[in-house]
Amino acid sequence: MALDKEEMLELYRKMCLIREFEETVSKFFSQGQIPGFVHLYIGEEAVATGVCANLVKQDFIASTHRGHGHGIARGASINKMMAEIFGKVDGYCKGKGGSMHIADVELGFLGANGIVGAGLPLAAGAAFANKYLNNNGVSVCFFGDGASNRATFHEALNLASIWKLPVVFVNENNMYGISMSQERHQNITDIADRAVAYGIPGVSIDGNDVMAVYEATAEAVKRARAGAGPTLIECKTYRHHGHFEGDPTVYRSEDEVNQWKKKDPIPRFGARLLEMKIMTQDEIAAIADEVKREIEEAVAFAQRSPVPAVEELLTDVYCD
Amino acid sequence: MSVGIIANPASGKDIRRLVAHATVFDNQEKVNLVRRILIGLQAVGVRNVWFMPDYFGFYDRALEVFTGENSLQMDTRLLDMRINADQEDSQRAATLMLEKGVRCILVLGGDGTNRVVAKGCGEIPLMPLSTGTNNVFPTMVEGTVAGLAAGLVATGAVERENALKRAKKFSIWVNGQERDIALIDAVVLTEQFVASRAIWDVEKIRQVLVTRSEPFHIGVAAIAGSLCRIGPEEAQGLNIVMNRAGEQPQIRVTAAVGPGLMQDVSIADYQTILPGQRIPIVETPCVIAVDGEREITLETEDEAEIELSMEGPWVVDFKQTLSQAVAKGLFRK
Amino acid sequence: MPEMTYSQAINEALREEMRRDDKVFIMGEDVGIFGGCFGVTTGMIDEFGPERVLDTPISETAIMGSAVGAAAAGLRPVPEIMFMDFLAVCLDELVNQAAKMRYMFGGKAKVPLTLRTVLGAGLGAAAQHSQSLEAWICHVPGLKVVMPSTAADAKGLLKSAIRDDNPVVFLEHKMMYAMSGEVPDGDYTIPLGKAEIKRAGKDVTIVATSLMVHKALAAAETLAAEGIEAEVIDPRTLVPFDKETLFQSVEKTGRLVIVHEAVKTGGFGGEIAAMVAEECFDMLDAPIKRVAAPSTPIPFASNLESAFIPNEEKIIEAVKAIL
Ligand SMILES: Cc1ncc(C[n+]2csc(CCOP(=O)(O)OP(=O)(O)O)c2C)c(N)n1
Ligand SMILES: [Mg+2]
Repeated sequence: MALDKEEMLELYRKMCLIREFEETVSKFFSQGQIPGFVHLYIGEEAVATGVCANLVKQDFIASTHRGHGHGIARGASINKMMAEIFGKVDGYCKGKGGSMHIADVELGFLGANGIVGAGLPLAAGAAFANKYLNNNGVSVCFFGDGASNRATFHEALNLASIWKLPVVFVNENNMYGISMSQERHQNITDIADRAVAYGIPGVSIDGNDVMAVYEATAEAVKRARAGAGPTLIECKTYRHHGHFEGDPTVYRSEDEVNQWKKKDPIPRFGARLLEMKIMTQDEIAAIADEVKREIEEAVAFAQRSPVPAVEELLTDVYCD
Repeated sequence: MSVGIIANPASGKDIRRLVAHATVFDNQEKVNLVRRILIGLQAVGVRNVWFMPDYFGFYDRALEVFTGENSLQMDTRLLDMRINADQEDSQRAATLMLEKGVRCILVLGGDGTNRVVAKGCGEIPLMPLSTGTNNVFPTMVEGTVAGLAAGLVATGAVERENALKRAKKFSIWVNGQERDIALIDAVVLTEQFVASRAIWDVEKIRQVLVTRSEPFHIGVAAIAGSLCRIGPEEAQGLNIVMNRAGEQPQIRVTAAVGPGLMQDVSIADYQTILPGQRIPIVETPCVIAVDGEREITLETEDEAEIELSMEGPWVVDFKQTLSQAVAKGLFRK
Repeated sequence: MPEMTYSQAINEALREEMRRDDKVFIMGEDVGIFGGCFGVTTGMIDEFGPERVLDTPISETAIMGSAVGAAAAGLRPVPEIMFMDFLAVCLDELVNQAAKMRYMFGGKAKVPLTLRTVLGAGLGAAAQHSQSLEAWICHVPGLKVVMPSTAADAKGLLKSAIRDDNPVVFLEHKMMYAMSGEVPDGDYTIPLGKAEIKRAGKDVTIVATSLMVHKALAAAETLAAEGIEAEVIDPRTLVPFDKETLFQSVEKTGRLVIVHEAVKTGGFGGEIAAMVAEECFDMLDAPIKRVAAPSTPIPFASNLESAFIPNEEKIIEAVKAIL
């Protein structure tokens, strides 16, 4: 289970890639080059990265409206993701889905989702399929603190618990659902407590520590593959940007944001790798450069790609 | 005549729910525990209770039922302190309680929570209540009973010498500086991350130091418990060095290293240690776990030593305290 | 008459009704301190406090269901569902509870609630945040359905909806929030079930709903330059439906074009066409035409989204096809 040097560097690089990707999306959105709604994952990268490092080919993830990080961590093509966000034909969904619907089912990525909480039963279903097909696959559902108040959360956990489905429910508790702080939207602070009601293990971890996320997921995935059923993992984290790009964030204080920025998962893991002498300052700079180049290429790819032909409006409604 | 309550909202939900068979101890149950404690405290005449503020809000939640004819006859207050939702909160709360002159602190949490409180509480006695299944320092004690015992100590109705025991502790010295303490055990792991904090993989354990060793202990301390017995008041501890992979074991034992988690471990050597003696750790880089939580990361060039001390926190012996109170007729109407 | 936006008109209607009747309250996701996802309830929490402007968790089932319960128990809830698409996650409460309670209970209950929600494409919000699902609601007996197209209509109709003793679904188009218009002063209401002729004409009748009213008016303007006088009717409420105004117009023009943004298949345009075919067949001089979105989910890419949404050219084309 212990990671080797290359694997640790890869975790770091992935987080940097997600960060750079999203900062770039943020920039183009503010310039009016990206339509629709964009929800950024900046600050929460350790969750997707630590979780997905445990997954293999036959596994599935179900994501949320804040899904770029999940896709990248699962190994999706950043070129196709960027093109999709720009609404271009070479995007994952031919430009028909946009930021909130990026998906790559073949990669085991069941899609970002515009409906909060929709992923939970979908992930249970994918886990059911894996179990039914006896392929040892697991599925993971990412969902927010706000989503844990949807009926789908309760129904999916219950179903998964009675059917012992190989699913890991990964709660990204960033303490807000749009403007609603957790203390205003639920009478508990640790969503892991809700596991008790479904008779499954619930653990609460530091979601800004990629190794903590990695370890907890490794155990939950092991448990799921062994046939012991679902787990709820609560990752405490924070989004640095507003709920969506353009959100005036009147509901939280500057001070709170700054406190959390100090716990930024990327410099934190970077500092540890430096301390351990697994990585050097030069390597950090090299990763930053490499990631920047990759994202520039993704943007160039997206910008080069044409908009979809109007005929595309009518295709893909049904299978042929 | 005042007491303090430090309840850790984060205890009872770490990864041991997943890697062992620990149960989730949800916060609503801790709220009930606090309520029972308050009733106990009030019954023996405590007049002031200070609470540590926390992200869950034990103070408001516990008190919300005490209205109307059920109102408490005590002054209950929150400490004025910023909360960061990390373990330093408990340490600072203990220090503030010390400054407020509280006479006893009730601690709801595990070994880890008590360790942090012990760093801040000075000579104030602790009444530790376990909110988990993996603890040695705090005991499973009913809340009302704990409240009564703590209250009897705080009011002076039972004298300190008849009520308290002094715990041992370890000081962890890193490069000549005291970095941290442990109340029960310090464990050296071939590991480089604090990550999810708990320990469950015995393969990674290189060295175990314990302040006490009893056959009924749970957690890594159980490895010591399966070797020999050292009581909580005896002036000694134990240092155990584990085998490296491939080495011939001197001794193999089986121990309950987690709730519902039995593991076989191979021991190279062990010896008792005495107060004041500084035991070098056997390997760097490593992570040192104190009282069950990975806490200190050390690099190759770091040097660390662990020292046993008899001057740990004072702890309320609730059974003895209550027996004394009964003997004095304090519960007779 | 003061000018205000569609959004402000709704805000004003809510405030006036809340001042008038303390049984009225609003609830929904982010309607309080955030002022609503589209800013419609801005400032209301300051005037009415959190007791009457309730921020809810993301629990549509509980929002809708508790509104039904509160209404049955004597209050006048005005719940908000952030996007009409999310009605899909709380349809039971609307369809099986709110709509049927009175009937099932033999007329012994009333459910005076007004559900406000937001429909329509145009923001690049894609397949799950852009739909116009009014036909679903119209299909359920027991629910009233309102779709205002101007600030004045929004205000007058919302006030009537709140005072109505039935469950009313009030549908706001997200692309109209910023549109301004004159709104009469004072306690101004518009009865439910009353269409308005937005432009008079003699050659063809165009029935359009919500945002499409504006596209129909623009089309009529262009047609007028070519000597074709189109009459544009906005039914304003789909249930109850003002047949009389429509039939009178068709009698005059003999030609009917129906425009809505919802997809054509199963859209409310089919219902309007059927009413006219059944009851005024003799008055028609040409087949009825429907201009509606193609039967596809709503695409993200801007060019596809524009192709999806019915526009002026398509309306003009339809009119010319039957002249
Ligand atoms: C069923 C449903 N209700 C409401 C919304 C509107 N909405 C989108 S994101 C969001 C907040 C989600 O909060 P949380 O689950 O905590 O995720 P976060 O945005 O914090 O990552 C809301 C209310 C939606 N998309 N779907
Ligand atoms: Mg959230």
